[in-house]
Amino acid sequence: MWDFFGALRRHGVPASRIVAEAYAIGIRSLPILLVISGFVGTNLALQGYNAFKPLGGQRLVGMFVALAGVRELAPTIAAAMVAAKAGTEMASQIAVMRLREQIDALEVMAVNPLAWLVAPRLFAILLVMPALTIIAIFTMTSSAYAVAVFQLGLNGQTFLAFAADGVEQIDFFYGVVKALLFGVIICTVSCWYGFRAGKGPEGVGQATNGAVVTAAVVCVCLNYFVSELLYGGSLP
Amino acid sequence: MLGRFSTFAGTVAWRGLRRPWFFSEVLAHMWVTSVRCLLPVVAVTLPFGMVISLQGLEIFRLFGAERLLSSLVSVAVLRELSPMLASVLVAAQGGSSVAAELGAMRIKEELDATEIMAVDSIKYHVVPRVLALTLACPLLNVAGSVAGLTGAWFTAVVLKGESSGVFLAGLWDLTAPIDVGAGVLKTIIFGAVIGLVAAWHGFHVKGGAAGVGRAVNDTVVHSVLVFIVFNYFITSALFGAAST
Repeated sequence: MWDFFGALRRHGVPASRIVAEAYAIGIRSLPILLVISGFVGTNLALQGYNAFKPLGGQRLVGMFVALAGVRELAPTIAAAMVAAKAGTEMASQIAVMRLREQIDALEVMAVNPLAWLVAPRLFAILLVMPALTIIAIFTMTSSAYAVAVFQLGLNGQTFLAFAADGVEQIDFFYGVVKALLFGVIICTVSCWYGFRAGKGPEGVGQATNGAVVTAAVVCVCLNYFVSELLYGGSLP
Repeated sequence: MLGRFSTFAGTVAWRGLRRPWFFSEVLAHMWVTSVRCLLPVVAVTLPFGMVISLQGLEIFRLFGAERLLSSLVSVAVLRELSPMLASVLVAAQGGSSVAAELGAMRIKEELDATEIMAVDSIKYHVVPRVLALTLACPLLNVAGSVAGLTGAWFTAVVLKGESSGVFLAGLWDLTAPIDVGAGVLKTIIFGAVIGLVAAWHGFHVKGGAAGVGRAVNDTVVHSVLVFIVFNYFITSALFGAAST
């Protein structure tokens, strides 16, 4: 651990590698994130409509979508998708390097493998997670809008007005805080699984498998505590 | 690629329907999948139920309508969250381990060895795994629903001091046991999608250990992608039509 920070201070992290990793994590997770958050938004609108209809509160769908989407679902979905796409890639890349003894080779060359392999990924994920979360928020809300207006026949103006009523600017900031936290967890969990991968193809498979499950579970559990802290009334 | 996938899915279905059937294999895989996925599924749905309860209470307190909380929580958990989260976790844990197992067998030429011994490798290795995922997914969904509602109850009653009786009384106001059935129906379809995608990626691994890693990655991404798209249409068909 201290070696890690020592090596970071001595060598720094080359910006080009951060950018390359940010591209790998961000751009390649983007298509799946767009599709998933789009369809989560549509379902949010459908179920919100069905839930509020017996109470005569169809107008509240906009508020429901905005609240659920911005505060909880967008950060969690973004984290789950980055864990599924970029996290598994990290785990399997590092596991393959371990398998081919490339990590031992790095150590022989007196390069700290943690600082060389993990640090760029960590900075890159911190860079892209907030952006992905914000993108997920907007995709989700716009697909929910499309379903509400075109499929369910609600009034678009009302939807937007209630959506704007439901969230405040601080909610976006909290979403970004969550995203940063989830990014750190995804990166450390995936790299940890990659480094301690067993031998052979099964080892790589199991490392990849364990990385995505553990990252998702830890993110969701942590999400509760962060939400409790941010929205549970303990903060003014 | 879609065409080849469909051919593969058709082959699996066709050979699965014909004798001999390996029931003990199906049960063994189902047991392993359920046990492996149970902890992740519960560990995700429980906190999610708690979060919904937390956020919902805050909104409903504005209107003084706390008694509506449990009705909405049960709609959210039973109809959407539990089927979706359970399937995501089954894809991440069960689907990816199927892809990893089949991929490792392909790389080590165990699948070819099976074929040489005149055992149909699709029938013996693939069909039981797909069936096991298809059957385990609804079971885990039920566990996820129970865990989600328990989490919501815990937050509302124990942490936030709502009345337990009001919470339990409102639980079935907007939902009926049929909604649990709808969740089970959804998850059977999702489970089949996960199983087929995982088997396809695992069965066609190329390029050594790195290929297995890639197959596992693709399995999770593609199966989640496909069943979320399915989810919208199933939800529209089940609930959207009923409301109009």
